[in-house]
Amino acid sequence: MADVNAPSFTPTAPPRFSFNRAKAAQWFIFLITAALMLAPALPILLQVFIDRPLYAEGWEFTFANLVELVSSEEIGRIAVTTGVFALFTVIIAEVVGIGAALLIGRTDMPGRKLMGDVLMWPLYLSHLIFALGWVVIYGPSGFFTQFIAQQAGGAPWNLYSIAGMAVVAGISQAPLAYLYCLYGAVRSVDSTLESAARTVGAGPLQVLRTVTLPLMVPSIVTSSALNLVIAVETLSIPLFLARPARIDTLSTFLYGEGISAAEPNHGLVAASSLLLMLLVGSTLFVQRLLLQNGHRYETVKGKGSRPMLLSLGKLRWPMAFFFGTLLFVTVVVPIAGIILRAFTSFLSPLVPLNKVMTLNNFQVLFGSESNLRAITNTVEIALISAALGTILAVAVALVVQRSNFRFGGTLEALAYSPRVVPGLIIGLGVFYAAVILPPMGWLRGNIGIIVVGYVMATLPLALGVVQPAIVQISRDLDRAARTVGADWVNAMRLIMIPLLKPALLGSFILLFVFHLKSYIIAIFLMAPGLEVMGVTMLSLWTNGDVGELAAFATLQIVMVAVLLILARVLFKVKIYD
Amino acid sequence: MTKLTLTNLTRQYGTAKAIDGINLTVEEGEFLTLLGPSGCGKSTTLSAIAGLDRPTEGSITFGDRILFDSKSDTYLPPEARGFGVVFQSYALWPHLSVEDNVGMSLKLRKIGAAERKKRIAEALELVELGPFAKRYPGELSGGQQQRVALARAIVFRPPLLLLDEPLSNLDAQLRQQARVWLKEIQRELGLTTIYVTHDQDEALAMSDRIVVMRKGKVVQLGTPEQIYAAPEHPFSATFIGNANRIEVNGGNTHASGECVVMLNDGQQVKAITPEPQLSQGQQILTVRTHKISCEPLPDATELAVNFGAESYLGNHYEQVAKVADTALRLTLDKPMPVGPGKIWLRHEDAIVFGPEQ
Ligand SMILES: Nc1ncnc2c1ncn2[C@@H]1O[C@H](COP(=O)(O)OP(=O)(O)O)[C@@H](O)[C@H]1O
Ligand SMILES: [Mg+2]
Repeated sequence: MADVNAPSFTPTAPPRFSFNRAKAAQWFIFLITAALMLAPALPILLQVFIDRPLYAEGWEFTFANLVELVSSEEIGRIAVTTGVFALFTVIIAEVVGIGAALLIGRTDMPGRKLMGDVLMWPLYLSHLIFALGWVVIYGPSGFFTQFIAQQAGGAPWNLYSIAGMAVVAGISQAPLAYLYCLYGAVRSVDSTLESAARTVGAGPLQVLRTVTLPLMVPSIVTSSALNLVIAVETLSIPLFLARPARIDTLSTFLYGEGISAAEPNHGLVAASSLLLMLLVGSTLFVQRLLLQNGHRYETVKGKGSRPMLLSLGKLRWPMAFFFGTLLFVTVVVPIAGIILRAFTSFLSPLVPLNKVMTLNNFQVLFGSESNLRAITNTVEIALISAALGTILAVAVALVVQRSNFRFGGTLEALAYSPRVVPGLIIGLGVFYAAVILPPMGWLRGNIGIIVVGYVMATLPLALGVVQPAIVQISRDLDRAARTVGADWVNAMRLIMIPLLKPALLGSFILLFVFHLKSYIIAIFLMAPGLEVMGVTMLSLWTNGDVGELAAFATLQIVMVAVLLILARVLFKVKIYD
Repeated sequence: MTKLTLTNLTRQYGTAKAIDGINLTVEEGEFLTLLGPSGCGKSTTLSAIAGLDRPTEGSITFGDRILFDSKSDTYLPPEARGFGVVFQSYALWPHLSVEDNVGMSLKLRKIGAAERKKRIAEALELVELGPFAKRYPGELSGGQQQRVALARAIVFRPPLLLLDEPLSNLDAQLRQQARVWLKEIQRELGLTTIYVTHDQDEALAMSDRIVVMRKGKVVQLGTPEQIYAAPEHPFSATFIGNANRIEVNGGNTHASGECVVMLNDGQQVKAITPEPQLSQGQQILTVRTHKISCEPLPDATELAVNFGAESYLGNHYEQVAKVADTALRLTLDKPMPVGPGKIWLRHEDAIVFGPEQ
């Protein structure tokens, strides 16, 4: 081409790439994800159909495990219990969550901002801590129960029941319903719609009922499905509250058969895991059916518009009092109870506090080598897993959303598959995989094995932060990079990743908090030297060391709180906002 | 000679065809414009040339390089084609300064820092943004962003420059200036350019040749003069010349030239047709708004009409005149009184086309 009038504007050939780096990278991400997702699932499937533990020699194929599962009266009863418990949990969580979203998001109720913050607490803490708090205060020998019993001459309620479990689980899952309804609908509803309804003469309550509530339906369906899944797989609430009453749910049954039993029945454990996965999978399938279109990337994030507030009028203060009391009793008191218990040797309304105040629990906590190891292990594992998990999530999301990789759809389905696999079973699967698959075997005996489980389990969570952030970035930006000579890898590296920094930081902190409080995934992966905080706390409960457990829980609460405050102050990252 | 050739290019989304069998040759150094209404497939065509979108059928060659060929399953990604692209949204990278935006292509081509600096400065000089090198895109006005986008697309001296409605986000006055300025740069650098727009004035003012597109197909290809003066399709006439379009009846003709058609109310109009043959029945008459006269003209058809409302547009009036159930738009210096009246059409201004398929 002739150079006209611009001698120094010499043409430069586009950069050459010796092999197709983009394809190689995309295949690499695909294979890593597939291996990570399938390696734990396949051994469980195999275990269902063989007659002895995977690691034993000479196993043979059999249907006996399935037959035992189907014909067992005990498991039938357990499944029904699990279903009833999950159903009531969802109802309580949704009622509280929807009510809170409307009251806090849309009305002039006094103190609504503070109440919104308090309502979120259970989400940052594990079920284990929350269940402990309730036991300490409202359990049969809990502080408040004793106090009432003393006045009224009899225990007013029984927390160790299905109803008690549903209340505790419902309150601890209410924040999820609240978040979905708040950001999915209450905040993002176009307030002109509501204004329009008001101009034709509808009162505030009518507007809520006829305009706002119907728009919340997708958020309610989604959060209900997620809460149902969580209720089905939660372990510590039924373990703390139901086991003493000899009630079993699927998760406590799995825990009992797989961990505490002298000779674990692996076939039955695997078969009931399968049952649990089917339950969870069909729940999510129903949710998809109900919301066929448009909610693929629905998350707790939304437009931060400030729609008009509805005036509660005379009900302002009574509503605030009612809602404030509810939060105080169900959230603040149990958590305060844990902290109080941590600093006392014994907690009872009959004994004055100053007589039982002690730092002994903390001395015991920090005096134990394995406890200290659990703390350092947990921090180390959480850091590594949060970093790897965030890297994997952004890699997967970029291939799915920003490449024309042929198996992008499959990759996305694989990446979201842990949603149907309860945490307990992820741990079990990783354990089996480490036993029978040679490359996974290297991970046995070091924290690598727990990291693998954590990264797998939280991939959907991280994708939930990263994918909506990618949608926000115009496709033209990476296309422009391609036109100036960047291949796919460079376009992602130079343009997308820098622009995604805030989302990556958010994902990292969310995963870190999640791993810090996690107790369920590592249950099957624990080994001497491989302690993590959550599992150690679980065994403290089993051994009846409540004081030491309360001290440990207090430590975890402080760690999470400090982390979240730091994230807010230093990086301006507000998780779930 | 490095010619760009599109052969039978088709892009299908499901069953819908965004572009449908496009054939086109772009000569070296030429300024070619794709003109058509929104949704007609201009951006799809441009993306196919840039390599940003993979067509479903056909082929694209540039000189002796095959960029895309559906038969041999050849597809060069955009980074291997090396064409400069200016996006409608500008697509400046918000986290990089102006000089880093412009210099990205050179960095990727592993050009040394000193040389890179010199070339960035030259490119920014060319778009008159020298002092803004350290700024970030968010700190620039729309017009300045548009110029950064252009500098970024030409700094590596691409053999082909592709622009997708680059001026559509600017206000009217800025757009006029940018049009002249853009054309000057293109001429100065001798860049082969494909320009996409839906604005007929822009297309007529800037192009060497115009491709009129409609529903994914090329309707007419020619110089601005040819397109304006001798439309070959009722769509060219109505879209570019702002012409009226009237359904009429006509007889058989066997050569282009004079003909006679009948309005639905029986009035006859003397006209011409560019088509080599017309068959009896429904035909389409097009007349430009400013070619309709309200005073008698020699050798013109006189038509009885009903004048309607007028609107004042500054330097002229636009008025509606009803004839045979069709509302004709007229461009007039002075409005006519509302009610029955007469208009005159010269036969060379009344252009007849066959019915559309
Ligand atoms: N990703 C896509 N999926 C489906 N249809 C598309 C897609 N992109 C473009 N189209 C359709 O192709 C047609 C041409 O689009 P486009 O080339 O953007 O038009 P233009 O740039 O001329 O306005 C439009 O009808 C549009 O709806
Ligand atoms: Mg377009």
